Amino acid sequence: MFNDFNLNMICSELEDVVGENNVSRRKSDLITHSTDYFWLPRLWVDRGKVPPLADIVVYPASAEEVSKILVIANYYKIPVYPWGGGSGSQGGALPLMGGILLDTKRMNKVLDFDEKSMIVTVETGMIFQQLEWFANERGYSLMHYPSSITCATVGGFLAHNGIGVLSTKYGKIDDQCINVEMVIPSGAILQSSPVPKHSSGPDLKHIFLGSEGTLGVMTKATLRLFKIPEVRKFRAFLFPDLSSGISAGRDMLQEFKPSIIRLYDEAETVSRNKSVMGVDKLGVFMNIALEGLAEVVAIEERRMFEICSKYGAEDLGAEYGEKWWNSRVTFFYPDHCLDFPLMFGTMDTVATYSNIEDIYWEMKKAVEKFDGVRFIAHFSHWYEWGCMIYDRFIMDTPPDDPEEALRLHNKIWNSGVRAALKHGGVVNDHHGVGMKLGRLMKEQYKDSMIVFEGLKKTLDPNGIMNPYKLGI
Amino acid sequence: MYSGRAEKTIQACRFCWMCRHVCPIGLKTGKESHNPRGKALLLSLDEKGVDLLNDLARDIFECCLCNACAENCETGYEPAVFIREARQKVYINNMAPESVEAVIEHALKTGSIYKETEKKKSFFSEISKGLPETADVLIYLGESAATHCPEMAFSLVNLLKKAGIDFMVNKQEVPSGAELYDLLGGVEEVQRIARICTEQINTSKAKDIVVLDPTNARMFKQEYPTWGCEVKGNVSTATSFVDKLIKDQKLVVRKTQKNVTFHDPCRLARDLKETLPARSILSTMGITIKEMFQHGSLTKCCGGEVLASHSNYLATLTAEGRLDDVRRIGVDTVVCACPSCVNNLTHDKSEIKVIDLFSLLDSNC
Repeated sequence: MFNDFNLNMICSELEDVVGENNVSRRKSDLITHSTDYFWLPRLWVDRGKVPPLADIVVYPASAEEVSKILVIANYYKIPVYPWGGGSGSQGGALPLMGGILLDTKRMNKVLDFDEKSMIVTVETGMIFQQLEWFANERGYSLMHYPSSITCATVGGFLAHNGIGVLSTKYGKIDDQCINVEMVIPSGAILQSSPVPKHSSGPDLKHIFLGSEGTLGVMTKATLRLFKIPEVRKFRAFLFPDLSSGISAGRDMLQEFKPSIIRLYDEAETVSRNKSVMGVDKLGVFMNIALEGLAEVVAIEERRMFEICSKYGAEDLGAEYGEKWWNSRVTFFYPDHCLDFPLMFGTMDTVATYSNIEDIYWEMKKAVEKFDGVRFIAHFSHWYEWGCMIYDRFIMDTPPDDPEEALRLHNKIWNSGVRAALKHGGVVNDHHGVGMKLGRLMKEQYKDSMIVFEGLKKTLDPNGIMNPYKLGI
Repeated sequence: MYSGRAEKTIQACRFCWMCRHVCPIGLKTGKESHNPRGKALLLSLDEKGVDLLNDLARDIFECCLCNACAENCETGYEPAVFIREARQKVYINNMAPESVEAVIEHALKTGSIYKETEKKKSFFSEISKGLPETADVLIYLGESAATHCPEMAFSLVNLLKKAGIDFMVNKQEVPSGAELYDLLGGVEEVQRIARICTEQINTSKAKDIVVLDPTNARMFKQEYPTWGCEVKGNVSTATSFVDKLIKDQKLVVRKTQKNVTFHDPCRLARDLKETLPARSILSTMGITIKEMFQHGSLTKCCGGEVLASHSNYLATLTAEGRLDDVRRIGVDTVVCACPSCVNNLTHDKSEIKVIDLFSLLDSNC
């Protein structure tokens, strides 16, 4: 449908909006926007194959430019794929069907810094680390520290409703987001309520967040600021088993909120933790951070020791936790992170305390039934009612043939996620759905998918926004 | 085709996004091919038989080699290693963009990317007037200062005169090859230039070699030795040399009132690990620096003159990114210790005043 003539016509219209330097059909731009952190496009590249490409890459610098781009795309009924850092692990930004790839990174300005309300308003293409530094310059932090903080954009975190390592105290990105602006294919620039807590109908923010670019392009967001804590204290413990560790975490959450609780199963304790942090003990390792006012933290610390002791934990001191904190991103650099020739994936899910341990064992079983597949897990985002399991499968020698590897990869994912769904979990906790897990959304939501489909039909009637993502 | 080190770095970087937050060009353009991940991804596919060399030819030169990515890398990879080798490959295969090819051809003929030959001649003739032909101290001024920032060089000379230093400048100073090294890597032509430059410096028999441009100091200290070129005498940066003059009380410095920030040159702060002497000099003048968040080894590149030589648009955009950092801390003056930085950051339309460290000091001595 989009032959060279048509694409040149569309390009000329896009150039009229953003300028010639900010529209590209060069192969190098198309290819570098064809691969995210998802294992499958990386597999394609690793085997010398080129993943699906967009036809055009466009780099708008404002919501108004995004609006004009979407109007053009909607007229031609050509797909649009919002792209932030391209560091997502679910294929959420991949241009599967050709069309326009909309890179948001030129929208990178801080628009307002409201110290009185402790909020900052920012364009969504800003790299999150740059925003964090902006806050740090002024003595504050956003307290959103995922491992992708240096490579992902604000919009990327909002698009899949991400989470950082301090979430147990400071919340997910939806807890930290006050309001958001989103441009839809009609060209309308929509605003959620100025504040997130109200009785003025359902909060639109929760419709935009997590929509993964399937409804529109988020262009502006207001996020919370936090004071830098007076103290941040670490403590590591070794529990006899998972049950006791989970129980200790649950008990702590009923009384206070550590900023970090990371509970590692035995397999991860002896593998990843040994290699980076030097934890050389058998058992279930838990790293805890408490932070805030020193006086408050002292009380929390006392209760932490009492609770962990109650469940038979061995106190390992502060050193491991400090070491983890200082090397928390080291895990994601080359030679430290999982990489080829391995096949791997992270099947994070979240469930109530009643279900989470069953889910761990069932997912482990569902994944390890495949020959040569290992399973490691930790629990690292905790609520009063339940927690998240970050479980990973690793296969040391996947098939050489990329098509065979793709099929095996998807079978392992189906098996693991279905085990989670069957026992009270969800498709994903904080990496999103993308194209990787879209097929499983209907299995979780069943008839409730009608809500997502209705939103899609109303906001994006021509279905141009990020097709084949989120299962809609 | 690539060295083992370059191959390994391409493999490591092709799926790694961790350093994109410090890429000064990528932050302004948003382009994925402007960060090491994008470049490595393209090169890895090209190596696997997807013919991309022609397509990536432009992208591979669109990098200022500021090493912010390498500084950030927790594993210690240096993307500049494969970028320089890929540039070489692109050029050898006659695929370099016209604008780049013209710069390389000129540099191969003259040893330098700078085309203002007459200006350089008259600069060196003027600045060496009245100076001895031999001395214990040789000042190496460099092509960038000679063509784009002569006032910085004259100020350094003035300061050394005021300090009573017996020093010389080569009337026909030869280029170091620094710019061509960035464009083509350590090829034979670059090593030949290095040998000529080393010979000229060593012929002077100076005991101290004071280098104004950190780009050249980096070459003398770090790259030349790997090619068997040993600059005899003690090589020091102009900033550290002048700082010592002040500390030895050979310069009397007046206090001044200024609200400034300091822009660390990449080569000085990252490659040579030198961040304190320039700050010490400013402090001696009574100036309190308001630091940008990205300072010291985290400094953000202003574009560099090699990039500007073939892509003025990108160099200007990158400089604008650095000027944004200056604006956001609320100061109106940025002090630089590198002639290339002074030139890159100075724009007619900018309200930010750009001054070089040595001119500022000279006016207060």
